[in-house]
Amino acid sequence: MTRELRVVGTSVPRDDAIDKVTGAARYTTDLALPGMLHAAILTSPHASARIVRVDLTDARSVPGVRAVLVGSDLDVRLGLYLRDKRILARDVVRYQGEPVAAVAADTLDAAREACRRIRVEYEELPAVLDPRDAMAVGAPLVHPDLAGYDHMRGVFFPKPGTNVAHHQKIRKGDAPASLAAADVRLEASFYNPPVQHVPMETHASIAQALPEGRVEIWTSSQSPYTVRHLLSVCLGLPHAAIRVHVPYVGGGFGGKAGLGLEPLATVLSRAAGGRPVLVSATREEEFNTMPSRPGLHSTIKIGSTLDGRITALEATYVWDAGAYADYGVNVGRAAAYSGAGPYAIDHCSIDSYVVYTNKVYGTAYRGFGHLEVLWGIERAMDQMAHKLGLDPAEFRRRNLLKEGDTTITGELFTAGHGKPVECLDAVAKVIGWGRPSDAPSAPHKVRGKGIAMLHKAPAMPTYTSCAAVIKLDEDGAADVLVSGVDYGQGTYTVLRQIAAEELGLPIGKVHLTWECDTALTPYDWQTVASRFSYMGGNAVIEAAADCLRQLTAVAAQALGVASETIVCEDEKAFPAAEPGRAIAYKDLALGYTFPNGNAIGGPIIGHGRFIATGLTHLDPETGQGRPAQFWTYGAHAVEIEVDTETGEIEILHIATAVDAGKVLNPLSCTGQVIGGVVQGLGSTLHEGFQFDGKGRLLNPSFVDYKIPTAKDLPRRMTPIFLENPQPGGPYGARGVAEHPMISVPSAIGNALADALGIDYAVLPLSPERVLLGIQSREREKTP
Amino acid sequence: MEAASVPSGLTLLEFLRDRLYLTGTKEGCGIGECGACTVLFDGKPVTACLVLAVEADGCTVETVEGEATDGQLSVLQRAFVETGAIQCGFCTPGMIMSARGLLRRNSNPSDDQIVEAMAGNLCRCTGYEAILAAVRVASRPPAEMLTGEAVGSQPVAETLTGETGTERRRFLRGAESTRKGGRR
Amino acid sequence: MLGRFDYQRPSTLPEAGRLLAESDGPAAILAGGTDLLVDIRGRRHDPRILVDIKRIDALRRLDVDPAGALTIGAAVPLNEIIERAAIRQACPGLVQAAESIATYQLRNRATAVGNLCNASPAADMAPVLLALGADLIVWSLRGERTMPLSSLFVGVKKTALAPDEIATELRVPVPEPGLRSRFLKQQRLRGHDLAVVSAAGAYAPTTGVLRLAVGSCAPTPLLLEPIEVGRSSKAAVEEEAVRAVQAAMRPISDTRASADYRRAVLPVLVRRLVADLLAEGGAP
Repeated sequence: MTRELRVVGTSVPRDDAIDKVTGAARYTTDLALPGMLHAAILTSPHASARIVRVDLTDARSVPGVRAVLVGSDLDVRLGLYLRDKRILARDVVRYQGEPVAAVAADTLDAAREACRRIRVEYEELPAVLDPRDAMAVGAPLVHPDLAGYDHMRGVFFPKPGTNVAHHQKIRKGDAPASLAAADVRLEASFYNPPVQHVPMETHASIAQALPEGRVEIWTSSQSPYTVRHLLSVCLGLPHAAIRVHVPYVGGGFGGKAGLGLEPLATVLSRAAGGRPVLVSATREEEFNTMPSRPGLHSTIKIGSTLDGRITALEATYVWDAGAYADYGVNVGRAAAYSGAGPYAIDHCSIDSYVVYTNKVYGTAYRGFGHLEVLWGIERAMDQMAHKLGLDPAEFRRRNLLKEGDTTITGELFTAGHGKPVECLDAVAKVIGWGRPSDAPSAPHKVRGKGIAMLHKAPAMPTYTSCAAVIKLDEDGAADVLVSGVDYGQGTYTVLRQIAAEELGLPIGKVHLTWECDTALTPYDWQTVASRFSYMGGNAVIEAAADCLRQLTAVAAQALGVASETIVCEDEKAFPAAEPGRAIAYKDLALGYTFPNGNAIGGPIIGHGRFIATGLTHLDPETGQGRPAQFWTYGAHAVEIEVDTETGEIEILHIATAVDAGKVLNPLSCTGQVIGGVVQGLGSTLHEGFQFDGKGRLLNPSFVDYKIPTAKDLPRRMTPIFLENPQPGGPYGARGVAEHPMISVPSAIGNALADALGIDYAVLPLSPERVLLGIQSREREKTP
Repeated sequence: MEAASVPSGLTLLEFLRDRLYLTGTKEGCGIGECGACTVLFDGKPVTACLVLAVEADGCTVETVEGEATDGQLSVLQRAFVETGAIQCGFCTPGMIMSARGLLRRNSNPSDDQIVEAMAGNLCRCTGYEAILAAVRVASRPPAEMLTGEAVGSQPVAETLTGETGTERRRFLRGAESTRKGGRR
Repeated sequence: MLGRFDYQRPSTLPEAGRLLAESDGPAAILAGGTDLLVDIRGRRHDPRILVDIKRIDALRRLDVDPAGALTIGAAVPLNEIIERAAIRQACPGLVQAAESIATYQLRNRATAVGNLCNASPAADMAPVLLALGADLIVWSLRGERTMPLSSLFVGVKKTALAPDEIATELRVPVPEPGLRSRFLKQQRLRGHDLAVVSAAGAYAPTTGVLRLAVGSCAPTPLLLEPIEVGRSSKAAVEEEAVRAVQAAMRPISDTRASADYRRAVLPVLVRRLVADLLAEGGAP
């Protein structure tokens, strides 16, 4: 970009920060509608059981109860890609924590009391808890009726009669033959447990059923239009009959990307005669009932020449998707096409299986399978490097994608893709790669360094689109309307910056209406996949251009000049050669009035849109195709110190490089990196669901599910942004939202191997796991 | 001054949100682990979810709604806005109250004291660095933050020399590190 | 609402004692409430009445007498203990234990006596107070008694207190000259956490006696037999201490940690503790 930018690329602070820092910002549970009822949920104590009998008599008699529902009351099937789920369990329960009944009452206490009085008789059924067991012949079927479920044909391939919800294949070249012929081979297996997003605001939705089946919803969601669409499909209503508002959202991280509590709130409101109903998850329900990040068992085989050129890679990914497919099938798909890492590999075979188990169901989570896959891939890369006697960074340099290479789906790598090698070099330099660590701080401690690459493209349908509208106010300020959601990333501020830049307005005169409303703000697919700045930014650029065309046309007519001569700058429109004859935007915003009273033009409203271009479906047999609108590459380098007597790991320094294309707002970009790295540390060191032998979740609260606190930070974190422009990106920008989290575990696992000479394969790298590994001094076996 | 009659089992958090409509204070877990519901109780930070409303009889409770004066953000609030300490905002009210409690009892806290005061507030979005920096900046605010200039007109980060994000962050942190074992 | 219970806030001990004795259902004492209210919310406890003792002046005593003996009233929040410089000087281990508990906000409410009476096997205040030889004063309308702290813990979350009794204060005796105390707690992360295992020690160089106590490795916190340091080498004392701990501990595997990890890491804490205590004591 040779253009001199005024606003884009600066650290404009968020204007929503003011509402948030004063307590004025209203999240879903801060809203109160007249007559609003409160809901409570009764959940299943069993991982797999038949619902024999439900007795609601006692429950209905609690004063203030307005509606009681069970699964048999509702004949609705839900699902993003595969319609396998009910609003409340019907006939059978498939995970401990699954909602079985719900009550709406005048007060939350009454609703909870009523739930406690619901009597359910269950007949326990065999449960399958490990996805590898679930794939075995004769395993209990989580969905015996899989054949009868609607699903997105041509994209997802469930296997009826099994627990496989989807199988994604990548076949490039001839990996088995190439592996067999390779000079050096490595095989390794890895495991990621399921984890939870832990947004600080739990899921919450309010629904008000209106006449004629219509419904109005306020919900903590990342995707108002997806909520609307899915409800339209499952309730059999036209889209316009469903109105979805999204107020402030207290974090999502993918967990609020699809349908959450909206369907339940809707049916409760209908059952309560149209009174609005608030359903809000307790923190325990957030862990135990709301969806998680799927677990993953991976087995990776790499073949290489003696001098470190990878010739083949085979991977088998077995995803623990839990009881319902939700986003899990797409995670399995996306992970497959990214599943060999950012490397040039001629022969690649990947099988990614999304498998049902009787546990809480998995959904989208920041990174969308990439953290999990790259845990294995980047650890395997290091192990192969050591086997070859090569420096891990050098081994990667020899294999990272460069211009002219093709990816494993046959996509050509171009200059516009960015520079993964530069990312690697940048972090290696900061961490002092190749120089030994300083002496550890105590004799029982050892230090080590590790490096890992990351990559991701937005995992989205080939036709994903969004729109933006900009309207000018009477005072010449601009109001931007979008339906992507800012749940913390800061994209709304970036979009304001873009609009200000394009319109020639000061940033203080560009507003972005905070609340999305499917009746009023234009379509956006979903706020996931690190696509909002890219796609929304492009839509805003187009909308701004539309506004400028309208301003120009009216100004030209008003001034009696050709519109080609008009320049829009500093909130004015004027002929380039005659700046003195300027008309202020505010005098054009609602049309222009001549001195004699005649008026021309009208309210200035610009609209823009963006649709993904050039994407193709993946071949069902080979996975070949073009799934990615853009790729973002990056790397981490980390130095750690390990207490070999307790197993505790301290992160001394972590450097993170991302090829952002263009940093649209350094302050919020940095925030994404620091936040993502720390969230990545959670997955690396502390987090993981624990289940007992009967599939019951043992750590559904902050007492035993630990996320990083302010005391758990690395001593130093160094974010590094590269700006190799992305063609088609706004100002050359790529998405960076998910990327800082990806490969944090791999980098630390590699550093641990460097420090201890032990290869850990299972996350989290808790003090216990590290110490017991030190004690047994052998390669960790996957459980 | 609020007068009310409450059932014994009502928590202070419920009282503030549902009876007084002060929804700035948030519920994050209900068991005192996350700090989202932090308020000042007779000047001391506590988690309102584990205080009974009735215990507040005769006491002073301060919430985030009282931090700004006549619509003017406090220096602490400005620091949060300008250092990027706010992303989704859900932990922010609790953070503000923990920080306010700290700055009242210690107007010039060390990095370790800031971490100790703030570590009971969980955040999932920011990774904490900017929040800790905001508290430090608030305890030693640069001159421009004390003027009446509109918030956000001049982000703290931009007043500094330095070309890279790393340089900016070094200033924002003051010292190299706000973390345990931090070096000056 | 957390539950349906009555709430009373007496201003004298006799009033509190009457409320407990006359309650027509289970009664619970409310000090900080950081365990009690969580248990009520989780429906693990269903008292009919909460007796809030925080307005009873006698229970707010926090004294360090000139000889170094401590009195900690039942209503004293942990942060007050932490902020009292004289206590940090006399019993650093006590302050280390208090600082390790929960979060700053919770420490403005939680009390040392409450932590002990909750009687979790992982009670962080227990090991160091056991090692210091603390007594608990227990009051009821029937009279007052002094209980060595070691007699308080009967089982997991079970104490030797009768339903009508109130633990009113902790008394830590006059320390031996130059007494050293330390507390170490193994957690899953640096942020707030329950103990995976914990260990405390008190060493008096003048008497050469080392008293150790451990937590989160048995149904109750354990006070070990005193060790005569005498002329033994530091290494020998460490080994004796580790042997004693290994013989006494009965760790379980739970969500927090496996028994194997507890067995592996508690000796590490004990060695570090003993090395620290003896080093400052100037033993050979």
